[in-house]
Amino acid sequence: MIAAVVGYPAAALVRASLGRYSITGLYQGSVGAGNYARLLEQEALPTVLANTVVWVTTVVVVAIVVSLGTAQLLNERFPGQRLVRWALIVPWAASLVMTAKLFVWIYDYYFGILNHALTTLHIIAEPVDWLGNDATVMGAMIVVGVFVSLPFTTYVVLAGLAAIPGEVYEAARVDGASAWRAYRSVTLPLLRPALLVATVLNVIYVFNSFPIVWTLNDRNPGFAHDTMITYMYKIAFKSSLRDVGLAAALGVVNVLVILLAVAFYLRTVSWREAEA
Amino acid sequence: MARGLLTLVVLYTVAIVLLGACDRGSERTGGAGAGKSITVVIAEYSKDHTKPFWQGLSEQYAKQAGVKVDLRIIDWNSIDQQVSTMIQNNQPPDVLNLNSFSSYAKDRLLYSADEVLSPKTKDDFIEAFARGGEYQGTLYGFPILSSARAFFYNKDLFAKAGLAGPPKTWDEFVQAARKIQGLGGGAIGYALPLGPEEAQAEWAIWMWNNGGDWKSTDGWAINSDKNVQTLRFLADLANRHKITQVNPGKTNRTDGAFQLFKDGKVGMVMGFSPLAAQLDAEKKVNYGVAEMPTAAGRAVTLGVEDYLMAFKKSGNQEAVKQFLDLYYQPENITRWITAEGFLPVTKSGLQQMSANTKLKPYLDALPNARLVPTTDPAWDRVKLDVQQNIGLAVQPGGNPKQVLDRLQKNAVAAAGGR
Repeated sequence: MIAAVVGYPAAALVRASLGRYSITGLYQGSVGAGNYARLLEQEALPTVLANTVVWVTTVVVVAIVVSLGTAQLLNERFPGQRLVRWALIVPWAASLVMTAKLFVWIYDYYFGILNHALTTLHIIAEPVDWLGNDATVMGAMIVVGVFVSLPFTTYVVLAGLAAIPGEVYEAARVDGASAWRAYRSVTLPLLRPALLVATVLNVIYVFNSFPIVWTLNDRNPGFAHDTMITYMYKIAFKSSLRDVGLAAALGVVNVLVILLAVAFYLRTVSWREAEA
Repeated sequence: MARGLLTLVVLYTVAIVLLGACDRGSERTGGAGAGKSITVVIAEYSKDHTKPFWQGLSEQYAKQAGVKVDLRIIDWNSIDQQVSTMIQNNQPPDVLNLNSFSSYAKDRLLYSADEVLSPKTKDDFIEAFARGGEYQGTLYGFPILSSARAFFYNKDLFAKAGLAGPPKTWDEFVQAARKIQGLGGGAIGYALPLGPEEAQAEWAIWMWNNGGDWKSTDGWAINSDKNVQTLRFLADLANRHKITQVNPGKTNRTDGAFQLFKDGKVGMVMGFSPLAAQLDAEKKVNYGVAEMPTAAGRAVTLGVEDYLMAFKKSGNQEAVKQFLDLYYQPENITRWITAEGFLPVTKSGLQQMSANTKLKPYLDALPNARLVPTTDPAWDRVKLDVQQNIGLAVQPGGNPKQVLDRLQKNAVAAAGGR
C-alpha cells in the first residue's frame, strides 16, 4: 500500500526531475542534477521562498489562535450550538476554487462588496485594489487561507477539549485558580496533542494549497506573490521556462522542505517536552 | 510512542506532498489498441456547442470508418498540462486541437498535411491561414477556426461625452478616452488588459498599429524603438493621462476588461465576436464595432488561428485521415464555426458565412488581420514570457524599455536552443 501510494509517485517525480524535456513534454534524455542547478539560478526563487514562509506561518498561526477561541465557544452549551457547529463545516465542504472565486469578487476593485462596505463606513476614502496592489495581495490571500483552514482546526481543537475530563477543572477550582489561570495551566497543556496534530497537518495542507494562491493571484504578472506550489506549476506550464523537468526538481525540493519543516517542528516540540 | 507518531506523520507528509505534486499530472490515457480507436482532444470553446458537435461528428465517423473515437473535450485552462502529460507518458492523442503547433512539429511528432489531408481539403484553406500553420515550409498545423479582434465602443458614453464617432488615430483615441474618463461617476476611458491571460494579443494590436512588429528581417525585434515607444504610450495611458481602469498591468481580459465593458463602465475595449454575442444576449450596453485606432496610417487587427494536428503513431494514419476529412467537409466545419461564433478558415466557409451581417465587421477585418508568429517554435515561449511580464511595464514606476529588452533577450535565447 505505502509502496504504491508513496513509492511510485516519488520515483516518478525524482525520475522526471533528472530529465530534459522539450516544451511539448517530450523526454529528451537525462541531465543528471542539471535541473537542480538551474533551479538555484532562478531569479524569482528567493521571493517565492519568502512568500511561502510568510504564507504558511501566518495562515497556520492565525488559524490556530482563532480556532482556540471558536472551539472554546462551540464547547459551551448555548442555543443554536448545533447549528453553528454545522455552519462551521461549510467553508470546509465548499470547493476551494469556488471559495477563492467568491473572494475574488468580494475583493474586486469595482464591484467588490468589501470596498463598498469600507468606503460607505468611511474606513477608507478610496477603494483599494486588494488583489492588484502589491502591498495587499498576500494579506488578502492569507485571510482566505485562514478562512478555509478554520473548520478543520476548530474541530481538532474541539475534539481535544472534549477529551479533557471535567475533574481536572474542579481540582483547579478547589486550588483557587482563576478562569484564565485554569485555561493556561490546565486546558492548553492538555490540548497539546491536539494542537500538535493541528499544526502539522495545517502546515502540510497550507503549504500545498494551490487553488487559493492561484485563483487570487492569476491577474498578477511575474512571480512576486507566488508560493513554491504555484511557482512549480508556472514553471511547468505558464512561464516561458515551460519545463516539466525543472518543475519536477522543484517538486522534489518541495517535498524535502516540508519534511524538514515538519521534522524540525516535531523535534523542537518534543525537546521542550523533555525539558519540562 | 513519540517515534511511532513521528514516523507516521512523516509518511503521511510524504504521501500528501507527492500526491499534491502529481495529481495535476496523472491524467490517464485510454489503453485501446492502435487501429481500433483514436483519441481526439478538443479544446472547449463553449459549454453549449463544443461537446455536442464533436460528439455528433465522432458518432458519424465511427459509423463510416468503423473506428471508435475516444473524445476528450478539455477546458483551455488545463489543456496545455494535460497534453504535456500525455506526451510525457508517451501516449499522445491521435488528433489534437490547440492554439500552437510548431513545437510539436519541431519535435517531429506530427503528420504533415500531405500525409493526412486530401488535396481538396488542403486547397480549400484560406492561404494566410495555411501559411500560419507551416513549420519550415510544410503544413503541420491545420487551421480549425479563426477569429479577429475589433474595436468596441460604448455608444451611450460616446454620446454623453459629445463624441461623434470612434477614434481613427491614436491622438483621437487619447482625446476620446480623456473625455469619457472626464464624465466622472466611475466612467473609464479605455479598458487595457495587460495581465497574464491574453496580454500578447492586446500588445500585438497596439504594436502593429504603431508600425512595429515581433520580428524584423534579422529575427526577433521585440525591443525595437517603435515598440518601446508603443509600450511607453500604453504606460502613459495608465499613469500620466490616467484614462484606463486601475492597474491595467494586473487586469485580465475575460473577468477584467470585458466585465467592465459589459457593465457599461468603459468607453472602449478591444473585443471579438464572442464578446459581441454576450453583449447582444445581455442587451445592457449600446455598443458599436469599429477598426482599431492607428498611428501607422492603416488600421491593423489581430487574427487568431487555432489548429488541428495529427500525431504520428504506428497504424493510425488512415483512421486519422478519414477523421480529418470528415471534419473538413464544408457542412461540418461551417456548422461548428457558426455555432461557436468564430470565423472561417476555408474558402468555401468564407463564401457561406459572408451572408451573415453580424459577422461583417470581423470578416471585413480579416484581410487586414495579422497573425502572431506561431510558425516559429520559439513563439510558444515568447508568448508566455510576454503574458507574464509585459504588465510590469505599465505599473507605476515600470520601465517599458527594460521589460522589452528582457523579452528580446529571452526570445533570442529561445530561438537558439532547447
